[in-house]
Amino acid sequence: MGMGIRVGVELIAGIAVGSLIGYGLDRWLGTKPWLLLVFFFLGAAASVLNIYRAVHGLDDSVGLGQAQRRKRK
Amino acid sequence: MANPVEQFKIEPIVPLEIGGVNVSFTNSSLFMVVAVVLATAFLTLSVKGRALVPGRWQSMAELMYEFVANMIRDNVGTEGRKYFPFVFTLFMFVLFGNLLGMIPYTFTYTSHIAVTFGLAIVIFIGVTIIGFARHGTHYLRMFFPHGAPLATAIILVPIELISYCSRPFSLAIRLFANMTVGHIILKVMAGFIIMLGIAGIAPMVFLGGVTVLEFGIALLQAYVFTILTCIYLHDAIHMH
Repeated sequence: MGMGIRVGVELIAGIAVGSLIGYGLDRWLGTKPWLLLVFFFLGAAASVLNIYRAVHGLDDSVGLGQAQRRKRK
Repeated sequence: MANPVEQFKIEPIVPLEIGGVNVSFTNSSLFMVVAVVLATAFLTLSVKGRALVPGRWQSMAELMYEFVANMIRDNVGTEGRKYFPFVFTLFMFVLFGNLLGMIPYTFTYTSHIAVTFGLAIVIFIGVTIIGFARHGTHYLRMFFPHGAPLATAIILVPIELISYCSRPFSLAIRLFANMTVGHIILKVMAGFIIMLGIAGIAPMVFLGGVTVLEFGIALLQAYVFTILTCIYLHDAIHMH
């Protein structure tokens, strides 16, 4: 159950944060809706990256490369 | 049957409003105070004897201390020692919140996202400040993987940045979701026992197992919250 919750949460959190950043930038720069679209997909990529980390047992180090190096250690 | 989500209701005990902001002392605040008082009492009273051969209470307090101290030493290194008070306080606060919630008729403050997110965002902002204070703009280099072609930076850096920013959210939601789901399951199962009468023995056996599992989750979530803090601290202090 733990892993299921983890993966589900990562999926939502990445997309939510990405969209939120996009929406904020859009409001700030007045470029509706382009940055929201771009950051939605970047957020989706980030959430897949986080899920990849979770299922491979990598920890939450900053940057994927460093997480992999720590795992090997 | 009792409403399974009623246990999460926030009720003001001392209604208070300052400058149009509702700052009432609620049942959630009450249990936070209880947790802090209990943790402080447990730690101060148990080590009061300062026995060379620790008694039962003292060895429990020493166990907690060594558990967190080892966690910091293994994950952050010796430089992490000065962050021990913060990490230990955080561990005790989350642990006592989770365990207090397992006592019937109590309120689980870690089952509220406002509380868990508050803790997570404090950790996140604090660690980011430590990282920038120690390494300056060099800290941003972490978001670009070693050895990747420079042209990919435009797409890789935002992805890593969002992945970094989504971490407090995922940390907060994980703690909140685990505690909330566990308490709802307990309540629903307990409702079944009453409804089924004599046949309620089946859900009761199940409930016994789930209760043990819940204690495990309460401990595990406090551990997860603390170890993630240690990992963030490690990244902020040692940049590779």
